[in-house]
Amino acid sequence: MNARLTGRAAAPGAALAPAFVVIQQAPIENDLRRTRSGTVEDETARLQAALERAEEELRELARTVEATAGEEEAGIFEAQAEFAADPELERAAEEAIRGGASSERAVFDAFGTFRELLAASESEYLAGRVADLDDVRDRVVKVLLGRSTAGEVPDVRSVIVAHELTPSQTAGIPMEVIAGIVTETGSPTSHAAILARALAIPAVVSCAGLLDTVGDGAHQLAVDGRTGAVIVDPDAAERDAIWNRMEEEGRRRDELVTLRDEPGRTADRHRVELAANIGAIQHLPAAVEAGGEGSGLVRTEFLFLDRKTAPSVEEQVTFYAEVLRSFPGYRVVFRTLDVGADKPLPFVERESEENPAMGLRGIRLSLQRPDLFRAQLRALLKARAQASAEGSGRLAIMFPLVSTVRELLDARAVLRDVAEEERADLTSLEVGVMIEVPSAALDAERFAAHADFFSIGTNDLLQYLFAADRLNGAVADLGDVLEPTVLSLIRHVVDAGHGTGAWVGVCGEAAGDPTVAAALVGLGVDELSMTKVAIPEVKDALRRVTLDECRQAVEAAIAGAQTPAEVRRILEGKLGSVLT
Amino acid sequence: MPEATVALLNASGLHARPAKIFARAAAATTADVTVSKDGREVNGKSVLSVLTLDCHEGDQIVIRTEGEGADQALTELVRLVESGLGEAGEG
Repeated sequence: MNARLTGRAAAPGAALAPAFVVIQQAPIENDLRRTRSGTVEDETARLQAALERAEEELRELARTVEATAGEEEAGIFEAQAEFAADPELERAAEEAIRGGASSERAVFDAFGTFRELLAASESEYLAGRVADLDDVRDRVVKVLLGRSTAGEVPDVRSVIVAHELTPSQTAGIPMEVIAGIVTETGSPTSHAAILARALAIPAVVSCAGLLDTVGDGAHQLAVDGRTGAVIVDPDAAERDAIWNRMEEEGRRRDELVTLRDEPGRTADRHRVELAANIGAIQHLPAAVEAGGEGSGLVRTEFLFLDRKTAPSVEEQVTFYAEVLRSFPGYRVVFRTLDVGADKPLPFVERESEENPAMGLRGIRLSLQRPDLFRAQLRALLKARAQASAEGSGRLAIMFPLVSTVRELLDARAVLRDVAEEERADLTSLEVGVMIEVPSAALDAERFAAHADFFSIGTNDLLQYLFAADRLNGAVADLGDVLEPTVLSLIRHVVDAGHGTGAWVGVCGEAAGDPTVAAALVGLGVDELSMTKVAIPEVKDALRRVTLDECRQAVEAAIAGAQTPAEVRRILEGKLGSVLT
Repeated sequence: MPEATVALLNASGLHARPAKIFARAAAATTADVTVSKDGREVNGKSVLSVLTLDCHEGDQIVIRTEGEGADQALTELVRLVESGLGEAGEG
């Protein structure tokens, strides 16, 4: 039965293979014997053996995932192994066995005690561990019931079909037999989707009607993880099409790997720096691995959130120096603290605000709290001095949410003052403005006189420009970066910056979309900073187009289009399918 | 019974990784180890129990040790917490 379904693209790549449906398991609790039949000793020995086996399986999974996907992804299985080895868990279960319970009932209830404590916690982090704990519990109970913990594994290379996949289900199926993954629910940010991307397995999630269509038996599936298309039992022409897509994806993967150490540029060798946004110290190795040319946005607020006291200068220096050392030879742009009333810090007293997006945040807060601001600037300068001795990236400092020239001058004055105290030389230090408030974008010439660079933060700029709250789904359609007016405004900011010799970057999410990236390059943008996973694709796309082609395409779009969809159509029409 | 009160220095409090490091170190000693916060006391060798204390940076925790090698165990564990449980300065 030929059918076409559409889901959300979750991991690029293409596949054509038989569907392998992972059956949703019935709740395990109903299968547990209440009371033990053997002696306390026998039942306790079974329990201990099952816990040990679960722990070993999880450690093995962690090793496999670490080897294939990386350390960060393996961490969840390491933590699960520790749960299985927990002495209190074992003690509680043994006590229940002495009281007459079967080993499986005893261990199920022992997990239940910890589950309740975690689920009741106000901490989102702890509540989020409940699913991990349940996963371990089911594994232990399955061992005791003599069921396979590996789940069913297809014997030929297949497209894995499921309602939703847990991380341990995804990691539990040998990679060699996974051609692709399609799930009925789930989101591109779910752990399974992240794992699929790390493992280079094409995946489509949130594919409505999937199980109704293929749940009944043998079907072939053609999956395109770049468009979200899923074709059930494709005909000859559709098979040819997906074969072509697979070849194309294979070529693309080979090229992306070879591109890692190549600089970002267009086909005619116009240089465009492709940097990584850094939100946590753990992101550094992956950002370097993805070929990030420095960072155009280090979100320093991660050092300040979730703590009761402000980080000391020394603590900040350690963090900043480590970031700098990760990118020898490249520029690293640190954005000074940017938190609003929506993320209260215990060490910053403030009124609650009706509208935190427009409240006391960014440079406004820094100028009101010189103690915090000076400590941060001092730490950045100290980190530069410390890291430069051992070969490191070049420090650049960026002020967020600047809306008037006065703020920029005041911020620079504080920096000068701190630099004098630190005997730090500012001549080689780039200081820039994050362009995200319309007043700064519209009057960019005036700011350019006092800035070494601009970095356009598209996320906030769009919400302020279109008066559309980023967090309000009801207005999510407003504020597309491809609105012609946004492109004109970016062109204006670029021209203003270049007028005084300042370079201009873009550090919003939009920079990671190859089509948008090409348009930005056409507008004269010098640097794009994006999420690390987007870097190889953008690098590849830009090397297929010339600067002139980008220019002509974006100018034609600004001149001729009325809507973002029209802009995209014109861009893709002019720049060809290399960008999709 | 030796005991000490320490403030957690590491940014993520006692999340899975630092909790694991603590519980492993506690399990490696011959003494009995307990940790308490706000009056709730748990087995310091149990990573799940330590996790459920929901400790954040800056929280004061009380470590108690008892039995063979209690004094040495306490010194080691306090030093471990003060060194940031393997993640000092991480964001």
